[in-house]
Amino acid sequence: MIATWYGIVSFMLIVYVALDGRNFGAGMLHWLVARTPEERRQVVAAIGPLWSWHEVWLVGFGGTLVAVFPRLMASAFAGYYLALFLILWCLLLRGISLEVGGHINDRLWQGFWDFVFVFSSFLLAILFGAAAGNLVRGVPLDAQGNFSMAFFTNFSVSGHVGLLDWYTVSVALFAVVILAAHGASYLTLKTEGPVHERSAMWAKYLWVAVVPLFLAISVESWVVRPDLPGRAIHDPVCWLGLLVAIVSAILLISGLLTHREARAFLGSNGLLVGLLATGAGALFPVMLYSTLAPENSLTAYAVVANPRALYLASIWWPVAFVLATTYFVFISLRYAGKVSVKRDTQAFY
Amino acid sequence: MNSNLVDPAFWSRLQFGFTLTYHYLFPQLTMGLAWFLVYWKWRALRTGDEKYNQAVRFWAKIFGLNFAVGVVTGIPMEFQFGTNWADFTRYAGGVIGQTLAMEGMFAFFLESAFVGALIWGEKRLGPRYHFLAALGVALGSWLSAYFILVTNAFMQHPVGFQIEANGSLGIASLRTYLLNPWGWVQFFHNQMAALVTGSFVVPAVGAFYTLRGRHPIQARLYLRAGTLTALVASVLVAFPSGDQQAKMVGRHQPVTLAAMEGKFVGGPMAGVAVIGQPNIAERRLENSIEVPGALSFLAYGTFQSYVHGLEEYPEDTWPDNIELLYYSFHLMITLGSIFILLMAYASFQIWRGRLASSTWLLWVLMLAFPFPYIANTLGWLTAELGRQPWLVYGLFHTRDGYSKVVSNGDTIFTLIGFVGLYFVLGLLFLFLVGREIAHGPDDEVVAGRGQESFV
Repeated sequence: MIATWYGIVSFMLIVYVALDGRNFGAGMLHWLVARTPEERRQVVAAIGPLWSWHEVWLVGFGGTLVAVFPRLMASAFAGYYLALFLILWCLLLRGISLEVGGHINDRLWQGFWDFVFVFSSFLLAILFGAAAGNLVRGVPLDAQGNFSMAFFTNFSVSGHVGLLDWYTVSVALFAVVILAAHGASYLTLKTEGPVHERSAMWAKYLWVAVVPLFLAISVESWVVRPDLPGRAIHDPVCWLGLLVAIVSAILLISGLLTHREARAFLGSNGLLVGLLATGAGALFPVMLYSTLAPENSLTAYAVVANPRALYLASIWWPVAFVLATTYFVFISLRYAGKVSVKRDTQAFY
Repeated sequence: MNSNLVDPAFWSRLQFGFTLTYHYLFPQLTMGLAWFLVYWKWRALRTGDEKYNQAVRFWAKIFGLNFAVGVVTGIPMEFQFGTNWADFTRYAGGVIGQTLAMEGMFAFFLESAFVGALIWGEKRLGPRYHFLAALGVALGSWLSAYFILVTNAFMQHPVGFQIEANGSLGIASLRTYLLNPWGWVQFFHNQMAALVTGSFVVPAVGAFYTLRGRHPIQARLYLRAGTLTALVASVLVAFPSGDQQAKMVGRHQPVTLAAMEGKFVGGPMAGVAVIGQPNIAERRLENSIEVPGALSFLAYGTFQSYVHGLEEYPEDTWPDNIELLYYSFHLMITLGSIFILLMAYASFQIWRGRLASSTWLLWVLMLAFPFPYIANTLGWLTAELGRQPWLVYGLFHTRDGYSKVVSNGDTIFTLIGFVGLYFVLGLLFLFLVGREIAHGPDDEVVAGRGQESFV
């Protein structure tokens, strides 16, 4: 039961990354793929009416974390204090830029909100990337399960680490590139005209850049946490994740080469989900690793709520999940098809 | 130096109080306004009268701006349970996590899926689905309110829990927890109060257009629908929901009731102070004019009922800011009473067909809309200050709940960040809403072309 809930909570965060990651990617490429004000409206329209639905996955993740692993939420969120508020403020700026940018048909107004959109998307990709790096590397947890962290200390990956070090910075860089590539694949699928052409070009460059970065990150992760590969080999979830990632990579490559945009984007999603699932499987049962002493690490078994909480959540969570997916499919079908400059940029979408 | 300034719990309380009060300015409008959109959308479907669609298009833009600010200011709230109130989350997360998660999973997914389609998707969805989108958003926002009010009700009157081996709380019965009687009363009271806000804002815009001689058909629609709804909602806020809420406080938090009324000495025939200021140092109510027996009757049903005084309780169980609690409660009651009188008179004038010609009443309706926001805020101040010094009433003190690893400086830094960010956000919001209201509904264009000029 505890492993299942570890899986569900990880699943929610992974879905969030796949869904909102494309919006971060579109935001980071906003100025590169869209040159005229109309094209820029087209990018915003392509993100579509569901960006807040994407963001709810993060909120749902946070709520579910409190319900199932309350002591993890308490330790992690208080420890990541300033980094988390930066994320919240960037999410706020990103949301506002999407909502009000189209309200006034004026170049200066829209240019300003385009800047806010690009800036917050970059910072969000960096911050979420660094956060992922922190989950792998660990944090300076004491014996009481508390930690507080500086932004950076001496950039080493053991002992009293900071939020940023050579490892987490490189994961952040990797996150920027792979989410930009993901966003480019999405924009290729969702737009037509010049934005489509430029997105297709960027998708190719960025996915090529992902390959060496991925190899570097893999080696680095092995150096930082030598125990992880050994654990992953014995975990069927990691094998499944890896399988999904490999199949998705094949789909992605063939989609890119043959200009099958839906296939490429499916592969892009699957690759993100597969890689993150492999990582989540390898980390289990540790949810927060201690860089001070491994025995201080918080495992899922130590931070879990009572069995009744898990049992109750197992009843209502699937119902809510089916309902949420139904709304999503319903709205997505209404907004299916490509976003064009002529038709859809008059209003927001 | 004031001891508050070195107390970490104080800064985390201030930050949570500020961010939550600011956040709630937006949902309180959308929760009320959502039902106006549903109603007009339904009337448009039934009658085919284009004026209802014009009203929906106009108010959907105002709704969208409120909703967007509500979403972006709401997300930090959930995360502050972990960042600033880690020890509270460790203690009670096993219970309140259930509703925090359900709010996200059941309510936010529903709202967020349909809100974009409601605001911008009239053409894409067609009239029937557009009506359903409005309904989905309205239901989602009320469902969200229920889950969050049940969470608050647990902090006011904990039920359905058990104490675990490590001393923290765990869920024992989800049914008992979700059906907390405090939660139902609070939900009814709070939702009616939100409806009051919505139904003051709608006729305020109607009065504004009438006074300027613009959009006559739309203005008449807003004035009628708003004023009549406001009358019903204002009455329901006071009775039965407000009355039941006060009785609930009297039953489960008698020391809070004593503090709300500034009652230091208990006794039968306890009065309600119409005027008066609590003097904590000397333990009495200054300059008080009381209605004798009213409090005994309202709280416990008879004039002879005994109402407890603060002096019957140890001082460390008193709410820690009795003056603010007392003024909040009394000002809320005063405003609520004025709302009923104002809307009863305005409804009477509508019935006589004289509202549009009564210039002074239109001025009052136009300028009255900020007061429900104030009353709602005062109500929440009453609820949350009245709960002190407890975070979970009778079980867990507020002073024990904050995050021990977060320094005061960090909290002050993020608090200042929020103040700055929310100030700019507020200016932006007022500018954009002001612009939409100045532009007004598109009722001059020919029917059927309305959607195309919708930018």
